[in-house]
Order: sequence, then structure tokens, then C-alpha cells
Amino acid sequence: MSKNIFSLKVAAELDQLTKIYEFVEKTAATLDLDSSDAYDLQLAVDEAVTNIILHGYQGRRGEIEIEIKREKNGLVARLSDNAPPFDPTSVPPPDLDKPLEEQPLGGRGIHLMRQVMDEAVHQVSASGGNELILIKRSLGKKTG
Amino acid sequence: MASDLQIVVSEVEGRIPVTVFHLKGDIGAHNYEQFENQARAAIEEGDTRQLLLDLSEVTYMSSAGLRALHEIFMMLRADQSTGESNESIAKGMMAGTFKSPNLKLLNPSPDVFRVLQIQGFDMFLEIHTDQQEAIASFLHAPNE
Repeated sequence: MSKNIFSLKVAAELDQLTKIYEFVEKTAATLDLDSSDAYDLQLAVDEAVTNIILHGYQGRRGEIEIEIKREKNGLVARLSDNAPPFDPTSVPPPDLDKPLEEQPLGGRGIHLMRQVMDEAVHQVSASGGNELILIKRSLGKKTG
Repeated sequence: MASDLQIVVSEVEGRIPVTVFHLKGDIGAHNYEQFENQARAAIEEGDTRQLLLDLSEVTYMSSAGLRALHEIFMMLRADQSTGESNESIAKGMMAGTFKSPNLKLLNPSPDVFRVLQIQGFDMFLEIHTDQQEAIASFLHAPNE
């Protein structure tokens, strides 16, 4: 295991989000990310984790493992869980042209996650759970 | 450093009374309901008809914060008749000509503004940088 990989394993519960924010902030500072990239990393990891808790485990007990590393071609976050297989990258983006009254209250998180990262890849893990890899290549540049 | 959400409420008399929520901290899936519930209490049980959300000390907001803004926008719409039909408001939102007369934002950080912008919330919510100007911009007392 490389010492350049930063990892955290947490219970799949929303009250763990503060702990995840602190982990991502510390990792971003260690990796010397600018504040905009650090925000995007936190947002992408947060939205992915929230999606796993609410739509993957759906109230069942479980764990989520987060790994973050900086590679030559960018920043990579890998999220693993043992919830039933679900590919968030297959979720269609919300229809932002609809009037607000007709838009659902939720469902924006995955869209935001994809907007602030350059690539999102889902695969079913060897244990039958999910592995989601988020990549941001355009470091140091504003996105969105 | 990740922090939880604090909300300080003040009442300001501009051309008409305006409630100001000064929010401080992070807004995520673990605490957005606190934000929504406080707004609901102010609107449904209190006298709040015009709401300015001071985001200057919001360090982070995910899609959960957008969900709360959406819900609060709908609460204020349901509570008041602005004389405009739903159809004309929907058309105005899509054309970018409608701005909410009773829910406005103050001083989001550049990163929080980017989140608002990605989801099109800047199309229907006025975003101010000066509190006095923001307060003065609330012009219409509905049903008067």
C-alpha cells in the first residue's frame, strides 16, 4: 500500500459526513490542492457517499471505504461499499429546463458529482458490492 | 475545518420587514433539514414573508443545501400570492426573467455560487453582495 493513498472507512450513516468532510479537507491540504479543487473533491465524495447511504444501503447497516490519491494525470477518489450493485453513472441528469415546481426536490447530487469531476466509472466489486472511481484531471482550473 | 451549521436570525425593517438568516458552517445531507425546519417555523408559525439568506459564512454546500433552498422557495410561494400565475412564473424562470421577490441570497462564496450556478439557481434567486442593498430590494408586501 503506497503511503500516498489516503483512506477512511466509515459506517454508512449520514452523521458520518462531518468526519468525511474533515478527512477530505485534510487530504486536500496534504495534496496541496487549491481551494476550488478541494471543494470539488469534497462535493464529489459527499454526493457519492450520500447516494450510497440513501439509495445503496437504504437504512441497512454497512460500511463505505474512501481512498484518495494524486496521480500524474490527476486526482483519483475510489469509493467501495457492499450495498446491492447500483451504477450512479447511469442516472440521467435532471431536466433543469423544467419549472422548479415540476422538478423533484432531490436527485441533483449525482449530477453535481459528475459536473465537478472529469470522469466517473462504476464497477461491481469482487465481493458483489460497488466500486466507484472519480477522476479529476483539470487540477488548478475552475470547472462548471 | 469542517463545522456544523449555526443559524442566527434577525429581523430588519427595510421598505418592508425582512427576516435574515445568517448561516454559518457546512450544509450537507446530515443537517439540511435543520435549515429547512427553521425556515418552515419562521414562515408557517412566524411572521416571515421575506427571507434573506446570508451565506457569507457558509463554507460548504452540497446538493442537500439546494434541496433546502428549493423547499424554502416553495414554502414562500405557497404562503403568498404574488399576483403572478404559476404559468407566467414558470415561463419567466425558463427565460431567466423571473427572480423570486421574497427569497434572496447574500454573499455566497465563489465555490457555493458555482454549485448554485451548475443547477441554475442563480436564474431565479437574486444574489446580492451588500446587505443594505439586499434588504432595500424587497419591494412588494404580498396581499397588500
